[in-house]
Amino acid sequence: MQGVAFARSSEGQLVARGTAERLDYRREGGRLEASRGSAIIHPTPGTSLATYGTIRVLAQQAEGEVPNARGTARGGVRLDTARGDSALTDRVALENNVLKGNDPVAASGPGYRVNGNGFSVRTDGTQIRVGNGVRGQLKPMEPAR
Amino acid sequence: MTAAMLLVAAAALPAGPLDFKARDMRIEPHERRVVLEGDVQLVRGDLDVKGRHAVAEYAKEQRPAAQKRRGRNQPPQADSSFGGQSVERFTVTGDVKVRRGGRTADGEQGVMDVPAQTLVLTGTPDTPPVVRDGSETLSGDRILLRLDSDDVDVVRPKVVLRRSLQQEGSAPAVPVKVEAAHLVLLQARRLAQFTDDVVVRQGDMVARSPKMEARYDGDGQLTKLEMRGGVDVRQGDRRATGETADYDARARTLILQGDPKLYDKGDVLTGDRIDLALDSKEVRVERARGRLRPEIHKGERGEP
Repeated sequence: MQGVAFARSSEGQLVARGTAERLDYRREGGRLEASRGSAIIHPTPGTSLATYGTIRVLAQQAEGEVPNARGTARGGVRLDTARGDSALTDRVALENNVLKGNDPVAASGPGYRVNGNGFSVRTDGTQIRVGNGVRGQLKPMEPAR
Repeated sequence: MTAAMLLVAAAALPAGPLDFKARDMRIEPHERRVVLEGDVQLVRGDLDVKGRHAVAEYAKEQRPAAQKRRGRNQPPQADSSFGGQSVERFTVTGDVKVRRGGRTADGEQGVMDVPAQTLVLTGTPDTPPVVRDGSETLSGDRILLRLDSDDVDVVRPKVVLRRSLQQEGSAPAVPVKVEAAHLVLLQARRLAQFTDDVVVRQGDMVARSPKMEARYDGDGQLTKLEMRGGVDVRQGDRRATGETADYDARARTLILQGDPKLYDKGDVLTGDRIDLALDSKEVRVERARGRLRPEIHKGERGEP
């Protein structure tokens, strides 16, 4: 399919929607390939992921197995959240509810900015790890006067 | 030590972000913190803190009331009461090394309270926190470095006033060791305030008082120790007491006032003022009165 838009709802609530320039979906095996895709995820309120608010993901290429919740996005992957987080890296893999990458990553958000050489993110939003040598900035509070 | 510290003129830390380096960084939004692991370095202005591990804790923020009343079908927005935007406390642990200007400090843990602009260093009973300035060293149970000035606050300090009392000529300096329950170094006033159970030792002289102030000249040299609130000085068999004692660092004399008394074996002298020369051990009593027992001093050097 070309010029695709999709939406997913759960219990009457919109949980995700997105677009792709091209999308191939093989029903048998649930295999999906997309190019120039973007997705907007609305986390369930009360979950750790809701900390970030609406999440927007952009990728040049993506492929995966929908039933196994496994996949890879590459060619420049960008993530932005309503909270103000932003991350950019070349390749991201999803497996066992963890997003991982071993390429350089640049991320910033409320009160932090960091560059690292690899990362892992739990999809429930409970933890983000940037590793293999990190450097960046943290914003301290203003002193009490 | 205190002299050297009082000389360091550091301004308040500049506003703006704090730079960091580490092996790994873990963001834990639910705990409202960022964890840094492995060869951690935090830098802000001239302040440089290193350690093995650090935790940055975000300040809590108030959630606007309007955000709590959201329609059921509206997509959720970022929960602004979570994942605060600025760090209010940094805790660095594991071989902590602090550098600021010409001053360095070591400890096992350092807690930087950003709103209060303080950095508190603690250690272990075997390895207490230490502040160094050149060859001078100050240790204590807990050392609080003020980040908006150069003042230092020390619990149970152990200070060696080595540099400050260096003698001229070839004679080796006799270090003055000071212990107390509490020490505050006030940079702007060139003053060190020791309080509670102050003990000063130099050679065989031991002086005790509830509080003492050490004053310094423009070059950072100690000029005076002022002991107040009842002073007890012992040197060998000799003991002197008074309400106050002033130690002149250049003349190396101790002047006791306020009903001063000198006890020397069987002698008991009182007067308006008692001057003790610590090197020659000479005593001068103004308007002296008391009881002398010369027979006790027979056989002493200079006695017939």
